[in-house]
Amino acid sequence: MQIARLDGVTKRYGRTEGVRELDLDVGGGEVIGLLGLNGSGKTTLLKLLAGLLFPTSGSVRVLERPARAARADVVYLGEGDALWGWMTPRDAERLFAGLYVDFDAGRFGRLCESLAVPRRTARAMSKGERGRLRLAMALSRSARLYLLDEPLAGIDLLSRERILRSIVQEWHGDETILLSTHEVAEAEGLFERVLYMKEGRVVLDAQAEELRERGRSVVETFREVLS
Amino acid sequence: MKLDPRWSLDMNAGPIFVQIAEGVRRRLARGDLAPGDKLPSARDLAADLGVNPNTVVHAYALLEEMDVIETRRGLGTFVRATAPVAAMRTEMLTRAAEAFVGEVRALRVSARDALALAKEMLDADRKA
Repeated sequence: MQIARLDGVTKRYGRTEGVRELDLDVGGGEVIGLLGLNGSGKTTLLKLLAGLLFPTSGSVRVLERPARAARADVVYLGEGDALWGWMTPRDAERLFAGLYVDFDAGRFGRLCESLAVPRRTARAMSKGERGRLRLAMALSRSARLYLLDEPLAGIDLLSRERILRSIVQEWHGDETILLSTHEVAEAEGLFERVLYMKEGRVVLDAQAEELRERGRSVVETFREVLS
Repeated sequence: MKLDPRWSLDMNAGPIFVQIAEGVRRRLARGDLAPGDKLPSARDLAADLGVNPNTVVHAYALLEEMDVIETRRGLGTFVRATAPVAAMRTEMLTRAAEAFVGEVRALRVSARDALALAKEMLDADRKA
C-alpha cells in the first residue's frame, strides 16, 4: 500500500535548491533511513512530506491527498531542541491530549518509562533527556506516517540506544517511519530501506539487506556513495 | 526467555537475518538453547539487537524452513523437539576443520605437526 508519493518535486529557496526533481514512492510499514550530509535535502524532503513546505514544482501526495491535507495522520518531529522550559512530562501529556485526538496517554507513559524521561521541567533536563521527551511526545500519537528529523543528533550514546529500542518496541509494523540521521552505524539495523541523498537528489534507493548481501553495510555504502 | 545478549552482528558480513538464524543454531549446537525451549518474541529480540522486527521475523522463518523451530499459535516460538542439534554441531565443526585444514595446507605444514599443535591447545584449554 502506498503512503506517500513525490512526482518531479523541486523546492527552491531563492537561488538554492532544497531538492531537485525528486520522484519517490513510500509504502505502508516501511522503516526508511534518510541518509546524507548536511545540506543534502533531507530536512526539505521531510518538511515537504509533513506539509510544512510547498514544492516549487511537482506534487507531494500523502495518503492520496495533498501533503498539507494529510497532516492529521502524520507526525513530524523537527530537528532541534525546542521545548518550553517550564514544561514537565505531565504538562506535555496534558498539552498533547488537548491538541491531538490520536494521542495515546498509555503509550506516552510507557515511552517516558522506557526512555527514562525524568519528571522535571525541560529547563532542568539535559539535552539528551529533552530529546527523549520530545520523541516520547511524537511517538505517542497513533499516526500512519512518522517523520523524524535527526532524533539522535547531539544526544549521548545511551540515549541513542534507548531511543532506537523504544522505536522498535512501539512500532506495530504498519506505520511508516522516515528517520534522518548522521548516526548511521547505530541506526542501520533498524532500516529496511535506505535513501542516500546528495545535493537535493536521491542518489541511491536500496534495501539494506540487499546491500549486505553484497557484503556492504549501510555505513560502507554511505562512504562510497557520498564521498 | 532471554537469549545471551552477546550477539556479534557484523553489518559487513552479509544479511542480518542470516546472522541471527546462525546465532540461534550456534546456541543450540553449544547447548545454550535446547529442544523445547522458547525463543524471545521477534519484537523483544529485535529491541535487544537494535534491528527491525521484520528482520527477526525473517530469521525465524528461515529457521522454521530448516525444521529447527516452530511457531505455536498464541504461545510463541519454540525450538522443535526434533531439531537436528547433533547434525548442526557436526556441520559447524566440519566448517571449522575445513578452515583449519585449508590453512595447514597453505602453510605446507605436515599433518602430524598440525595435529600435535591442535591437540596441545585443546588439552591446555581443558586444564584451564
